[in-house]
Amino acid sequence: MHETESSQSRELYESYLNATHRLGRVLTAATLLLLVGAPFVIGLYLGALPNLGAVLKAFLGVGLVYLISGIVEYLIYVPMLGAGGSYLAFITGNLINMKIPCAINARDIVGVKSGTPENEIIATLSIATSSLVTIVVLALGVVLMIPLQPVLQSPVLQPAFENVVPALFGAMAYKYYRMDFKVAAIVLGCMTLLFILVPSLIGSTSMMVIPSGALAIGLTYLGWRKKQ
Amino acid sequence: MEILSMLNSPVMYLICGGIILFVAVTCIVFAVRAYRAGRAIGIDEGKMKRVIAASTTFAVLPSVGILLGVIALSGSLGTPWPWLRLSVIGALHYETQVAEAASEAAGIGRLSAANMTPEAFSTIALLMSFCIMWGMVLVIFNGKAYSRRLAAPKVTETQPGKKKAGLAAFGDPAMTAMFIGLVSAYIASYIGTIVSGNGRFTFTGSWLPLAVAAISGLAMAVFIRIRETKKAEWIDSFSVAGSMLIAMAAAIFLGRLL
Repeated sequence: MHETESSQSRELYESYLNATHRLGRVLTAATLLLLVGAPFVIGLYLGALPNLGAVLKAFLGVGLVYLISGIVEYLIYVPMLGAGGSYLAFITGNLINMKIPCAINARDIVGVKSGTPENEIIATLSIATSSLVTIVVLALGVVLMIPLQPVLQSPVLQPAFENVVPALFGAMAYKYYRMDFKVAAIVLGCMTLLFILVPSLIGSTSMMVIPSGALAIGLTYLGWRKKQ
Repeated sequence: MEILSMLNSPVMYLICGGIILFVAVTCIVFAVRAYRAGRAIGIDEGKMKRVIAASTTFAVLPSVGILLGVIALSGSLGTPWPWLRLSVIGALHYETQVAEAASEAAGIGRLSAANMTPEAFSTIALLMSFCIMWGMVLVIFNGKAYSRRLAAPKVTETQPGKKKAGLAAFGDPAMTAMFIGLVSAYIASYIGTIVSGNGRFTFTGSWLPLAVAAISGLAMAVFIRIRETKKAEWIDSFSVAGSMLIAMAAAIFLGRLL
């Protein structure tokens, strides 16, 4: 009886996953077309289409960095986000500063493991909800922007809004450092030394997440192998 | 019509708002499907509702920060385009860097409304779209295959005489490690800023980001202590947003000290 129920759930989950991939591909492709097409439509409205030579030149300058970081982000974040979560997260952006912490926070709250059907559902719900919240807050903000602008741009509030990211990472640091203090201390020490000795890297912190993450994963793997 | 008023015109709001609406509907479709599938495969509805509540509270504060990014970019690119970019796909630090590079390539020098031309704007807009689309491209062409491959290690479970384990069991520690790496890069950059931000070992950089992170971590410790001692599981839904709010409020006072 239980076996039948479990096989039914597995079938339901499989068919959900297949449909998610189909829908995800179609909607992601449609969003991509809209995003790449919009500058041309805007160009027609403004009376000047994009200068493709300048686009190519700038892409060779800065775009290659984003190409590499896009590939790395894809490889790292898809396992965390599951199928539905990945399509949504890459459509809606703000991965490091919101979607990833939000999905992991949700996963921790309900205590699910990565790679499970529960994680797939929870990550999708979490990313869809946080994306909608951002869309609503931004839409309200844009509507209210004129009367709100003096308050939001008031010099008194600026230190608070300029430090949203440190506030986020401080809270997350306590939460995750206590799970593996030894690895955290080594990685933090190495990265601090690197930034102190090569200060020009401070401006590329988002890229430095890659070696930092690789070091943390490497150390964790060594510890995990020892325990096996 | 001057360029900034064209960039803030109803036509621009219509183009950008239409795309945002499309993405909002996409999010709703995914959320409803996931909720229904979760119920069908036996996930507790209470858990799913907690996730929705926690993600809502979690997202409010960062969203206000993103809104400030829209305000910051609206001075040079008008309001509708930054509104679109930061509602969909983008992140403030990416968008700002790419817009700056594109304005240089378009020949207008630094990104500013004073230098903006229609051609420069459409060029900047295309480059912003083009540079930050790779995650979407990969997920379209490889998302299914990659997800399937990630689920593959189950094969090791079938080997006789072997424990479940395999690399699949390393998934959770790896995710925690990745997060430790991510957080460490940023916290280390705040320390690096203090020590070498204005030249190696000058110790004159701003200490505010590190102080804010420390206060936020401290607040998080209090939230976790309350949860553990009072068995108040509900506090988890507010601990991250609450810690951030406390630290951001502290930043206002600390900012005055500087």
